Amino acid sequence: MRPGRFASRDARVWKETPPRRKKSIRVEFTRSCASAHVRYRFSFFTAFLFYSLDGPASVMLKGNDLSEQPNAGDQNMTFFLDRLTSLFRTKPRLKPTELQAAFRAHYKDFRALLTANNNALELMAEMEQALTAGRSFGMAFVRGNCTALSVNIYKMIHHLTRLADGRYTELDQPFRAITRQLEQVIASRSANTEGAAILSMAEVDAGMVDQVGEKMANLGEVRNRVGLRTPDGFVITATAARHFIEANALQVEINRRLKGLDLDNLEELYTVSAGIQSLISNAPLPAALAEAILAHHQQLDTNPEAELLVALRSSALGEDSSNVSFAGQYRTQLNVSREFVPQAYKEIVAGKYKSQAIVYRQQRGFRHQDVHMCVGCLRMVEATISGVLYSRAPDDPRSPFVIIQAAPGLAASVVDGSASSEQLRVSRTPPHPIVHRASGMEQGRSLTEPQAAELATVGVLLEEHFGAPQDIEWSIDRAGLLYILQSRPLGHSVSEEAQESGKHRATTNDLPGPLLAGGVCASQGVGCGPVFTVRSSLDLLRFPRGAVLVIETPYPDWASLLNRAVAVVSETGQPAAHLATVAREFGIPAIFGMHRALATLENSSLITVDATAGKVYAGRVEPLLALAAPKPNLMAGSPVYKILTQALAHITPLNLTDPASPFFRPDGCQTLHDLTRFCHEKAVVEMFTFGERYGFDDKAAKQLVVENSPAQWWVIDLDDGFTPDFDPESRYIDLNHITSAPMQAIWQGMLAFPWAGPPPVSLGGFGSIIFQSTRNPNLDPAVRSAMAAKNYFLISRNFCNLSVRLGYHFALVEANLGEYLTENYVSFQFKGGAADENRRLLRIRLISKILGEFDFRVEQKVDAMTARIEKKPAPYLLERLTILGYLLIHTRQIDMIMADEGMAASYQQKIMADLHTLMDTPTER
Amino acid sequence: MTQPLNILLIDDEIDFVETTGKRLARRGYSAKTALTCAEGMAIIATGWPEVVVLDVMLPDRDGMDCLREIKEKWPTLPVILLTGHASMETGLHGLESGASDYCLKPIDLETLVEKIAIAHRESRAPRS
Repeated sequence: MRPGRFASRDARVWKETPPRRKKSIRVEFTRSCASAHVRYRFSFFTAFLFYSLDGPASVMLKGNDLSEQPNAGDQNMTFFLDRLTSLFRTKPRLKPTELQAAFRAHYKDFRALLTANNNALELMAEMEQALTAGRSFGMAFVRGNCTALSVNIYKMIHHLTRLADGRYTELDQPFRAITRQLEQVIASRSANTEGAAILSMAEVDAGMVDQVGEKMANLGEVRNRVGLRTPDGFVITATAARHFIEANALQVEINRRLKGLDLDNLEELYTVSAGIQSLISNAPLPAALAEAILAHHQQLDTNPEAELLVALRSSALGEDSSNVSFAGQYRTQLNVSREFVPQAYKEIVAGKYKSQAIVYRQQRGFRHQDVHMCVGCLRMVEATISGVLYSRAPDDPRSPFVIIQAAPGLAASVVDGSASSEQLRVSRTPPHPIVHRASGMEQGRSLTEPQAAELATVGVLLEEHFGAPQDIEWSIDRAGLLYILQSRPLGHSVSEEAQESGKHRATTNDLPGPLLAGGVCASQGVGCGPVFTVRSSLDLLRFPRGAVLVIETPYPDWASLLNRAVAVVSETGQPAAHLATVAREFGIPAIFGMHRALATLENSSLITVDATAGKVYAGRVEPLLALAAPKPNLMAGSPVYKILTQALAHITPLNLTDPASPFFRPDGCQTLHDLTRFCHEKAVVEMFTFGERYGFDDKAAKQLVVENSPAQWWVIDLDDGFTPDFDPESRYIDLNHITSAPMQAIWQGMLAFPWAGPPPVSLGGFGSIIFQSTRNPNLDPAVRSAMAAKNYFLISRNFCNLSVRLGYHFALVEANLGEYLTENYVSFQFKGGAADENRRLLRIRLISKILGEFDFRVEQKVDAMTARIEKKPAPYLLERLTILGYLLIHTRQIDMIMADEGMAASYQQKIMADLHTLMDTPTER
Repeated sequence: MTQPLNILLIDDEIDFVETTGKRLARRGYSAKTALTCAEGMAIIATGWPEVVVLDVMLPDRDGMDCLREIKEKWPTLPVILLTGHASMETGLHGLESGASDYCLKPIDLETLVEKIAIAHRESRAPRS
């Protein structure tokens, strides 16, 4: 304690006789307010936390002028009051053994509730991510996650009701209402899936994966959105395939044959597979479907001179399409004439039961009947030359050339590797010169230079459109017209061919030396624009559209600039930071951890940011910009995407942020997230008050005896948090009797570094804290209960819930390190603070940033934040708890200095240095 | 971490139950499989299973009926529902009828094993 620090200026400090065990000091302030001269008097009982390392976590203030502006929104106080009032619910007295049993039962429900909460929050994060990450997902994902989520929330309500001896049953109403709405959202899709049996290629795009399968959806995208030439044709959809199978009641028989199939017995596998395929191939097509297919075929037949031939291409739906190894497994039939179209269609549908496909699905747990075989029926191109085009070398996503394989005739021969072919490397940059050609083809039949250039243009265009290197099948017909037959993401497997091209890997010879290098890629891509350094909120308003955002720290609040920025360079930060997430969502290239960025990059000078490589160049570097591939979200706007968006509106918004609000009650729950929040909050309150409610001394709070700490830390044992030799009658406990690993880890972090002493505080900073205090009614001892002034640990061996008032802010740390990963998590909530709003925000940002660096998923809402990590192993989580322990103690001073960004930065550096030291120190347990 | 639990898989997708049964056995669990509810009930009646994993769709009867009967006769036996068809309605009915959990296929074995172990542990502890 360093009372002298205050005495010098406008405060006088003196010692007072300690009440009981507490040492205390009394401070009197004279403070001039801008508006009026008011004299406040406060007493601090040891408690001036900002200035005392081991001071209690509560501040007791006495003021003369406390009641003027009741601060209605103090959550934390009500949180404690809630706990307190539940003390007075009377309960029948039970015998000790009955009490023990009742308690164990409550604890069991509590633990189950926490696990359900953990699962629910993870599912919500996963759904939000699916929406923003631009990866493809189908209705099965939406339906499955909504179901899993509602099941977990049902469990939470169920366990809370039991925990609270039958109260909170009214939660059932909002829960039913929300799940009903969700069901309606999901059901709205089911009607759509019974869509057309046949779709013309003119109507297909990437959003129709659910109807036409991925291969045809991409081809439709190439045709209708990119505007490249593809063969005319139509898709026989998933709906049609389902009708076909159902009309013949084939699924039962197929499942019967698959029963008991031993996958390791290859002979049996092939026999069963062949049997099922012939079963499907020999079943009659429903007449209406056959007619529809032939009618569409008729429409393609526009040339009376020649017989129309089509290609039938499989486009499977319902499997994990990102698995490249599965590509090409299904059949394609070429040169099919009219009378064989129905039969060829059936055979491709039957190809679903090829033996590799059976094995693949079974190992992955897919049901065969959930996979649908869509079939594209496309006019054959009279190809003179065909081949495969990679928009990049398969082993080098940065290669400056496309790779073309070409062979006379049909593309399939190249894919099969059956024809003598040639391979070309063609520059991606106009005019696309051929860099290298290795030809096994006859003279005069190989690809011309203009053809090679056209293919390179197409490769670059499709890669840009799909946002990733592409593997493209193509043909050039007799008229010299280029047709795209297929475009799919290029897998980065190292094939023979890739190794070959690796010898000619692009060099960076043609690039200038970078201004800066060594940063971490937080969001891929390349961007170019003038530098604009943002240091404060004032700079936010002046940020010009099209500039490169250069910052010291990736505060979440800078995210509002990302729709105007072309790239981000930050001196510090990790890819897990919120700003990085948002940058990826917007597709804005971002480099974090770029040292000396602020010192090196001059405002308004033009730079090129190569985020993928973590480098910054002066000026405009065209070769790099040519590499830039903005990643559009192709799911956006599709029916499934819309449904997920609608579903999430009932799931993720959090309205119940404030346990003190009059709306923090069952009928205030509008979303599933609200329900999780409410259940968790009330469950903790129930466990907290059990000992008192039941007069159960064993489970009542014990005061933690810590040397040299006048702070009051209280511990409630939930199960096995105390050593067996601890005397349950005792009112005090010391650390040696605490078995709780998470509590010990937090404690270790709290004590790991001595607090460096009071920061030099400007009068403005200190004054603003005091001014807040006067308006804060829970600082009035008349309002505060004795209980509210303490810090509580609720513990078991594997669990810890610590609620803390540190100075004027409220923090909650909760962790479970169970037997199973499903149960593991660390969560942290932090709110409030005495300084003015600006300082509070700066502090929250600092904490968010630090936690982001340690892989927490951080959400910040005004001056409240939550941070979570789920389903990680115990040693990893214990480390995070130690970090939280450290932050609890060491950030409480930060308010005071936050107005000065230079100092904030130096504190931040010290904190990070301390934390890294802490993580290198072996944990004592 | 793994206890040598006795697990009964009731599911008519024989390929799935057999593969899963083998993989559970490799992890030190004892697994038996039943393709119908009736077959499953007969095994439960011997007192052998400690956890039941039940498919919602069975050939001989509705899996939910099967669940209700199991919970009626053996209320403390934990039953995990596993299905290929996600349905919020079925999921919630399942829990109301006493299922310990409701999971969707495909499920990786790691997750299933944890769910089995947790369901078993919860069934041991007292109820409030």
